[in-house]
Amino acid sequence: MQHLDFSVLIEYLPAIMDGLFMTIKISVMSIILGSIMGVGGALCRTSKSLLLRSIGNIYVEWIRNTPLLIQILFIYFGLGVFFNLSPMVASVLALSFFSGAYITEIIRAGIRSIHRGQREAALSIGMTEWQVMRLIILPQAIKRILPPLAGQFITLIKDSSLVSVIAVTDLTYVAKNIVTITFRAFEVWFAIAAFYFILSFGLSLAVRKLEERLAESD
Amino acid sequence: MIKLKNVYKNYGSLEVLKDVSLTVAQGEVVVIIGPSGSGKSTLLRTINGLETIEGGEVCIDDFLVHASEANLYKARQLTGMVFQQFNLFNHKNVLDNVTIGPIHVQNKSRAEAEEIAKALLIKVGLPEKAFVYPSKLSGGQQQRVAIARALAMHPQVMLFDEPTSALDPEMISEVLEVIKGLARDGMTMVVVTHEMGFAREVADRVVFMDEGVILEEAPPQEFFSNPKNERTRMFLSRILNH
Repeated sequence: MQHLDFSVLIEYLPAIMDGLFMTIKISVMSIILGSIMGVGGALCRTSKSLLLRSIGNIYVEWIRNTPLLIQILFIYFGLGVFFNLSPMVASVLALSFFSGAYITEIIRAGIRSIHRGQREAALSIGMTEWQVMRLIILPQAIKRILPPLAGQFITLIKDSSLVSVIAVTDLTYVAKNIVTITFRAFEVWFAIAAFYFILSFGLSLAVRKLEERLAESD
Repeated sequence: MIKLKNVYKNYGSLEVLKDVSLTVAQGEVVVIIGPSGSGKSTLLRTINGLETIEGGEVCIDDFLVHASEANLYKARQLTGMVFQQFNLFNHKNVLDNVTIGPIHVQNKSRAEAEEIAKALLIKVGLPEKAFVYPSKLSGGQQQRVAIARALAMHPQVMLFDEPTSALDPEMISEVLEVIKGLARDGMTMVVVTHEMGFAREVADRVVFMDEGVILEEAPPQEFFSNPKNERTRMFLSRILNH
């Protein structure tokens, strides 16, 4: 039996850092794009128009009822038949579509939780529906949904490890390579898990701070 | 100023307003009373289009409130509404609650809006609360801010939907004082309320509604001392002798 030796990691630290940076890059871009899609999806789902509501429903149900891994493979290899997508672009697209569907549901729940009196008061001073949503409903809804939203972002960071299957050189992909070369599976995967933990837990702490700041008006 | 002509309103098969007609003149204070579920709040809410109507018409000055989306927005800028539950914007402090309309609906500058807001907060007796959030205010204070928020739009008409019904008894008078002040200034107002003393003192005309119909309207003196309709008499005796 081999002794544990974490020192092998030092040699590969630059590669791990590159992978970490790639994971952060993909996660941040997907969080931003996914949130935009989530707001769009939620507006569709709460819209008066049957067409928009149907589009929102189909989007959410389609994404939630198929595995993320298949979505990644479909976008990269499937859509890759028609469009020349880089692994990086395909990953961000897949993760954004995926998290966007869940964010849609979180935001929709937030919007519905705001008392209708808020909307009526805003309408009564002459605001348009869009102003009511943008100035009154969404700011209050988003404050209320921060905890589940943070959970969704953390899920996204962890799920981003799946994009290593399409050869995106993220943290997981780099780790696989290092294990192949060094056979130090325990040390490498343990360290990689620690990096994911730091990313996820760091984000969770940041959101908690933000929540405290927004609690000013409670 | 306001003219409702043969207004009908249903929620499904339930008829809430049945052939209601009402005129409110410039500077007039009309108080609507009646048992709960009689349609008085709904009536009020058809004036600024928070409720749609199934028949008849609602005019403010010369234009039809329900004729188009554009008219709805116009009606809401001519009217200010105060709600039973205050409905202040919880994520905004008092000053921002009052300035949000002038800034975003009337496109006034922030400085101009704040000047208006500060004057109104003095008027409702809360100048020191400008930077406080609604959750830190008492019900009476919240309702006074809500009145300031509505007044900030320089409405031609103020609509009050049971403005004191959600308040603790000791806070009712501070809100009624503000409303009485507006009446003295000559503001046109339609007030739905259960405060009979207020109706007697401030109203130019009292309207009694029951089951979606206006049964009686008269100046307060006549209304309270000599009600003509049987159901008005029953309602008044129940309300005044408890």
